[in-house]
Amino acid sequence: MEQPADRYSDLEKSDIFNNEFMVHIDALYNFAYKLTLNEDDAKDLLQDTCMKAFRFINSFEQGTNAKAWLFRILKNSFINEYRKKSKNPGMVDYQEVETYYNSDENEGQVQTTPDLRSETVKGMLGDEITNALNSLDVDFKTVIILCDLEGFKYDEMAKILDIPIGTVRSRLHRARNMLKLKLATYAASMGYK
Amino acid sequence: MGAFIRWIQRAMMSKEARCKEEERCLELVRLMLDDQATKEDSEYVLKHIDGCYRCYDNYDLEKTIRKAVKSKTKNLEVSNEIVEEIKSKVPI
Repeated sequence: MEQPADRYSDLEKSDIFNNEFMVHIDALYNFAYKLTLNEDDAKDLLQDTCMKAFRFINSFEQGTNAKAWLFRILKNSFINEYRKKSKNPGMVDYQEVETYYNSDENEGQVQTTPDLRSETVKGMLGDEITNALNSLDVDFKTVIILCDLEGFKYDEMAKILDIPIGTVRSRLHRARNMLKLKLATYAASMGYK
Repeated sequence: MGAFIRWIQRAMMSKEARCKEEERCLELVRLMLDDQATKEDSEYVLKHIDGCYRCYDNYDLEKTIRKAVKSKTKNLEVSNEIVEEIKSKVPI
């Protein structure tokens, strides 16, 4: 991240940090928790994000979209950590997963989804929905979190994730197909009707 | 009227019955629910699902899944201790 020379006074930095950054702390913590699935890791990731946000505060333009800026920092911190862990053979390489789901032979996956009814989803417990979401590959889960839980628009998600808007759209479409498949499979296994 | 047509369609169509425009309509439904569709696309979707039970069903399911994800997943609040810890580490 390029660091412009001191753009803000100490007072301005304090004002930005307290009034533009800290108001998003719950959303950041929830995002961190949903990525790490562990409260201690989420706390560490949150702290790391806040430290970096302050350190690079001169790169932030006051009055612009602080939430998206902070989510981008958090996502990058998580991905860097995740990539380290992905050297572990047990972890999945995200790019390979997306390439697989983007391939033509996997198009129309939604058509093979077992039947799933709205009433079934309405009757599911929070844990069941959460487990289905968590079972998605991390970047597919991320787009659903950013869009459905945090209400980011596609252009904001593109900036947070550092990908073109078209990729946001297609990734989200595939993520939703996969989530639907997970929910349907789970519902079938539990005998939901 | 639309609801009546859908009821008739539901009664007559098997679960496997497909709509030729289902894939396209599903993409547009998702854009519409994400508030990213154009006015024309939204109008197309609303008109189409009014007469196509299959796509109406997809629309209803998409809406329900979004609502379930939002309302049924855990929402944590950061404790004051964590906030204070963070503030103590930031030189302000």
